[in-house]
Amino acid sequence: MPRAIVLDRGDNVATLIDAGGAGEACLLQGETGGEVLLREAVPFGHKICIRATAAGAEILKYGQVIGRAARALAVGEHAHIHNIESARGRGDRKES
Amino acid sequence: MAATFLGYPRADGSVGVRNQVAVISIMDNCNPVTRAICQAVDGTIAVTTLFVRGQYGHDLEVAFNTLAGMGRNPNVAAVLLVGLEEGTTEEVARRIRPTGKPLEAINLQPHGTINAVAEGTRRAMKLVIAASSLRRVSTPMSALTVGVECGGSDTTSGLTCNPTIGAMSDRLIDDGGSVIISETSEFLGAEHLFAARAVDATVSKAFVDAVLRLEKEAVSRGMDIRGTNPTQDNIRGGLTTIEEKALGAMAKAGTRPLSSVLTYGEAPAKKGLHFMDAPAPAVENLTAFAAAGCQLIFFGTGVGNPIGNMVVPTVKVCGNVNTLRTMADNIDFDASSILEAGAKASALGDGLYEYAAAVASGTRTSSEVLDVRETAISRFAPTI
Repeated sequence: MPRAIVLDRGDNVATLIDAGGAGEACLLQGETGGEVLLREAVPFGHKICIRATAAGAEILKYGQVIGRAARALAVGEHAHIHNIESARGRGDRKES
Repeated sequence: MAATFLGYPRADGSVGVRNQVAVISIMDNCNPVTRAICQAVDGTIAVTTLFVRGQYGHDLEVAFNTLAGMGRNPNVAAVLLVGLEEGTTEEVARRIRPTGKPLEAINLQPHGTINAVAEGTRRAMKLVIAASSLRRVSTPMSALTVGVECGGSDTTSGLTCNPTIGAMSDRLIDDGGSVIISETSEFLGAEHLFAARAVDATVSKAFVDAVLRLEKEAVSRGMDIRGTNPTQDNIRGGLTTIEEKALGAMAKAGTRPLSSVLTYGEAPAKKGLHFMDAPAPAVENLTAFAAAGCQLIFFGTGVGNPIGNMVVPTVKVCGNVNTLRTMADNIDFDASSILEAGAKASALGDGLYEYAAAVASGTRTSSEVLDVRETAISRFAPTI
């Protein structure tokens, strides 16, 4: 069973430390336990959503903000650049 | 317990972990002669550089200071400067002279290539023979200043290699040594946590200002830094945003207070943990560490970045089981037991601290033996 590390109780993403296949159960380790069903294949080292997250909500890892949800994320979904946006150094958005 | 290492005492009171004769180019047009001399003389290292000719103002000062800083580095027993003409060569020479180490210079004008190589070879040979009579002596770990770096990062970096390096950093600082963390852009999103560790409000502000200045610069150019930082290989390795990368990168600096903020290549004036405001890419960042007098560098990697520094032995630490398999040649220290066997970063940090003493005493690193080493001084203005 692929394993994923949860670094803080408040986090809504976990990091896979094995590659996972679509439909596989993934074992959560670290600050929370349990299992999450992977909705798609997720490579080694990539993240999954472990708590349903609304579009625009903060993405938390290490208990810290690592970006915002570009759209709603479901539990077990691959969480990466296609659905998470950085909020920093974004000259393309002309925000400070 | 690794409280001491065997090092080479220098005239200025510093202690080297290597005993090389550095042949240093003053500018890019000198590199062919520098390489030819180093090819001919065992025990030398070729410190080449690009540009310098045509640089001016602050940008040129940084170049001269960095070249001289590498010459002053305690790992360098003696220096042979290879210049084009005596004026610019003297700019670097006068910045090295206060160390009291043997220093020679050869200029291409008016000797020409063949005579410059011949004369440079003769002088380098004598410097190497003289340096080889020096012997290592037992030295407290407090004599060490180490640079901590990460490159080719992925999500394992913030979980394995960087916390291991951080635990080692805490040990070294507790024993009276110094640690420098840098890579300004890689604090975007983590700066609030690091700023809170500053010894006072002035240091805190200087650090935050450096990070925000860099972000403002990126934003003012109307560009999105994604794809450049995090890089394409960072993203393939699972890192999604610069904030995520920064939170993992900061782990290399352990937990001790931030005592000062340094400029590019600037040596710390006191012991403890320091931040150097410098560009993140490894070659130019490691060059700044070498100029600042670091005797060792610890370099965490996830998806793999093999590069090391010419003057400073660079220890590659990796906790990604896949990279440890595919790029084993380039890794010196395995931190994969954190994810694979539930090992604690603090325990691995103790092991890395002992390894630091071993490398400081002469154990060679992969990037030294394979000569996977490069030098690049950051540019801060266009050439005229």
